Amino acid sequence: MNALRFYLTLYVVALKARAEYRVDFAVGVVTALSSQAAALAFFWMVFSHAPAIGSWSPSEVLFLFGMTAMTLGLSEATLNGIWMLPFYLIAGELDRLFVYPVRSLPFVLISRPELHSLGNFASGAISVGVAWHLAPPPVAAYFLLPLWIVAGALIYTSAVVIVASLSFIVLGPFAWHMLAVHNLLSSSRYPTSIYPRWLQVLTLFVLPFGAAIFVPGSFLRGDFSLWVAFVAPLGAAGAAVTLAFYVWETLSNRYQSTGN
Amino acid sequence: MTPTVAVRLPASLRVSTFAQRATCFVVLAEKTARTRLTYRLSTVLALLASGLAYSVILLVWLRVYHENPKPGPLPLAKLLAYLVTAFVTSEVLTLSVDWRVLQRVRMGLIATDVIRPLGFVTFQMAQAVGDLLVNALFALPIFAVGLHFVGGGLLPPDLASAALGLVSGALAFFVSFGLTFLIVQAIFILHSGYGVVTAKMALHQVFSGLSAPLVLFPESLRNVAVWLPFRHVIETPVTVWLGHADRASVPRLLAAQAAWGAALIAGGALIFNAVLKKHQVQGG
Repeated sequence: MNALRFYLTLYVVALKARAEYRVDFAVGVVTALSSQAAALAFFWMVFSHAPAIGSWSPSEVLFLFGMTAMTLGLSEATLNGIWMLPFYLIAGELDRLFVYPVRSLPFVLISRPELHSLGNFASGAISVGVAWHLAPPPVAAYFLLPLWIVAGALIYTSAVVIVASLSFIVLGPFAWHMLAVHNLLSSSRYPTSIYPRWLQVLTLFVLPFGAAIFVPGSFLRGDFSLWVAFVAPLGAAGAAVTLAFYVWETLSNRYQSTGN
Repeated sequence: MTPTVAVRLPASLRVSTFAQRATCFVVLAEKTARTRLTYRLSTVLALLASGLAYSVILLVWLRVYHENPKPGPLPLAKLLAYLVTAFVTSEVLTLSVDWRVLQRVRMGLIATDVIRPLGFVTFQMAQAVGDLLVNALFALPIFAVGLHFVGGGLLPPDLASAALGLVSGALAFFVSFGLTFLIVQAIFILHSGYGVVTAKMALHQVFSGLSAPLVLFPESLRNVAVWLPFRHVIETPVTVWLGHADRASVPRLLAAQAAWGAALIAGGALIFNAVLKKHQVQGG
């Protein structure tokens, strides 16, 4: 309980520190909205040439768009600190953290929330709202939605953590390997079933964003049962978080201090 | 924090003749390229990351054409050739000027850049040429892979298209640099740039023709895109190179590129002179 209170206090302090840069915040939100708008512009182009993709209607795909954006938004708002790992390593800033009497991964994750995440989350919520207005979902979906979003954010963050942990081995002032995971998440905006088999396996089982985005979307279409829509995101999130902790603990043992 | 002041260099340190300036420019471009090549792994990972994002666009279009073989004015072979060439062009013309300036503004190192004898705009452009050279080096294998899968459709239909495509590519560099240099001005004002840089990338993604040629845009989106400079970074050079652009319209397209490039760089330089007077150097 004490640990929980500690992490909560740390998060609130980090949030206050980020909120101090108000112009950054405003520009960040506008930026996040513009990025989502750019993705929606492509959606518009695609559906102006096809009535459906892989038998998925525009409103069904719009739901995937919204879920992807909310997943990203929640992860950025709460567990975004992992993006700073390569720079912490280069500057030798992890020295102190590793002697703190706390678990290092949660500390790193919650120490740098991004407020522009509000733009991503809001645009995602609007997309889901519009999608559900066009094609009303079963009542269960309203109760499962928070679970899907939290599971999606955990899976996405875990995937970034696993890839980011490579920074303990390959040192460099860059986060491109993490951006590859971020860009892979964008594939969740469209039905996984339209992709080649290797990408389906990658996004459903290896970095299983699809379990929290595509599976709920399929449930709303009647392709999967309620049971699958409940268990798949939970199971994938649990497995991803466990693996992320394991990889972090294993590779952080190889940490060598740098900087001066 | 100290306000930046204009510094007049002694005559012995000024770079005044064209030959001196050209030499400085080439040396700086070469040094930038060498610096970038030091971080080869970073560049390869960056390519992989953008390749993954772009493969989603490619796969979605393939699906659209699979389900609807005649979805628009462009046959699949032509669209594939366009998309692969657009990706390669985008990778070559992705300049790091804004990220570099952002980092130097935040650390206060920009104070030394603004008093370089070469001039700030030329200094940045030389580094942008360095970026371009390294990008081209890494883009060549992608083009070769594209050639293997898509075939001769990636090559220009005749020598004239090749020559005009290369001219258009060169002009696209100036448009891309001009757009990036405008973003640099926002970085000077905000002391931060993540937001504006990302916003520019979003606009580029929509309006440059990176996701599709303008003929596949919904009409209202196309009507906006034709009035913006972004299309001259990707769509214009790619359609000229591939011979997709009507030959009669090519001179007009090249002129538009040149005009946009000149206007953006001149506009950026003017704004730079104004913002520099108010800029406060960070650090100390």
